[in-house]
Amino acid sequence: MVTTSFSWRRVWAVVRRQALVQYRNPGMWFLLLALPVVDAVLFSSIGVAYGDGDGSVRILFTGILLFHLVWQLTLAGSLGFLEEVWSRNLLNLLTTPVREIEYAVSLGVVGLVRTVVAVALISIVGGGLYAVDPSAAGWVLAPAAAVLLLFGWAVALLVVGLTLQYGDSAEVFSWGTLVLLMPLSGVFYPVEALPGGLQAIARVIPLTRAFDATRAGIEGGGVAEGDLVIAAIGSLVAVALAFGFVLRQMRRFRQLGWVTRVT
Amino acid sequence: MGYSGTATVGELMERGRFVRITSAGLAGEPSARHHDHQGSPELLVRGARRSLPAKGFRQRCGHRPDSRVVGALLDVEGLVKSFGDLRAVDGVTLRVDAGERVAIVGPNGAGKTTTLLMILGAIEADEGTVHIAGHPLPAQRHHAMRSIGFAAGYLPLPDRLKVTEALRFFADLSEVDDPGDAVDTVIQELDIAHLRGKLCMHLSSGQRTLVGIAKATLHRPRLLVLDEPTASLDPDIAFRVRDRLAQINDQHHTALLLTSHDMREVETLTERVVFLRAGRVIADGPPAAIAAAGGHHSLEELFLAEASRHRATQL
Repeated sequence: MVTTSFSWRRVWAVVRRQALVQYRNPGMWFLLLALPVVDAVLFSSIGVAYGDGDGSVRILFTGILLFHLVWQLTLAGSLGFLEEVWSRNLLNLLTTPVREIEYAVSLGVVGLVRTVVAVALISIVGGGLYAVDPSAAGWVLAPAAAVLLLFGWAVALLVVGLTLQYGDSAEVFSWGTLVLLMPLSGVFYPVEALPGGLQAIARVIPLTRAFDATRAGIEGGGVAEGDLVIAAIGSLVAVALAFGFVLRQMRRFRQLGWVTRVT
Repeated sequence: MGYSGTATVGELMERGRFVRITSAGLAGEPSARHHDHQGSPELLVRGARRSLPAKGFRQRCGHRPDSRVVGALLDVEGLVKSFGDLRAVDGVTLRVDAGERVAIVGPNGAGKTTTLLMILGAIEADEGTVHIAGHPLPAQRHHAMRSIGFAAGYLPLPDRLKVTEALRFFADLSEVDDPGDAVDTVIQELDIAHLRGKLCMHLSSGQRTLVGIAKATLHRPRLLVLDEPTASLDPDIAFRVRDRLAQINDQHHTALLLTSHDMREVETLTERVVFLRAGRVIADGPPAAIAAAGGHHSLEELFLAEASRHRATQL
């Protein structure tokens, strides 16, 4: 019987390639370095201008800090895969022994590195320019961050699945999904601030519960364990659905000959 | 429709029937007949082996087993693929043995690239099977891909990587034992040392083809699949590419399976031609013998006749 084994060497090869691609792409540097700084300055300043004290700045700052966990992971996954489409490298990859799971893990590793860099930059801006303590919400930040990373990975997989079908036209989804999620997931305000119809949608997005729990930590120092558990379960379901979607898209990719669209 | 024992090979080809011409023995009368997987009559005709450029290859050819023996390096059986109403590939069966040089030819739309993409596992067949070095697709794709290398004239390489970085990347994906040494070796073999530090996005089409072949061979595959390897290359670079492919075949016993629209290239580089028409194999044998069987002096004449016929059916 022939067995297949997971290869960390292949994972590292893809990580190294992605790192080199991003190193040589000015647009990737902008997304990694400029965007987090701009966001930190923008939302912290809004908090200073229109808030009623340090609490508002902390909530807006922590919101954007956490949202960048989702943002950077999604960008790493979706743009990393789009790079294969842009450079028409997909057929080259398909004719190597690399496995889908190895490739997905590679993009996850790159996403985590990007996330660490972005969070560090935002923390430096918050602490240095606005005297905001990034850990003001307390230890709830750790499980909330884990949930957000999980959900970010689900979004990245969704975009990869769409890219398999639509090729480079799917670039809009790497941005569009996050643009849709930001107002609906209560990053900066409670769900109750949304119009009635949108509140129902917001409540089924796992991110909303994670941001609710974080705000509760900032405002009262407590831990909304119920919200975190629901957010974690919801994010796990989202990852499972997204992974299933990618596998289905891979089957359709091979059955319908979509490879000819990207070569 | 039954087989008429009086039909000539050329007539059978004109009717779209499958013709197999073996490389053993001399030209002569039909020696055998049986039915292929679709129930169509298959005619086996003895044909003369043509001369080949590489000495080592000729020596091996003398002991080459019949392509129909069990355990072929590439074993494709009854491939069918439709896209909507279009039946792009319609029951293609072919086998390639170790060290063989085989071309798939046919007019545009005959199903060459779709067949190759199914062999590579990039497109899934509706019907039929593909085995590479004994590994069935798609179940053992990851193992099968260790035995195969792929390059195409139209296919770029990762554009933001330097040539050595790109080659190292693919060496690692194939888990080559000493990737640094493997990269140095193929760079030397293909005489592309001057391209080492160049970004793939800055390569000319000829340079890209050579680097693509380096990429496809650095893990020493048993089968090298090439789709239009010399398309849009100037004659000098095309000659170099053909020369390198013959050397790779000769030195490493790597089988070649290629598509090309250049019939002279096919005659120079390959010992066997699989001729496709509308997704079906209509002939399989040495280039000269296939041309002769179709009543033509050269493969190019046969190709032009087929292309003309194809255009007529499109009108």
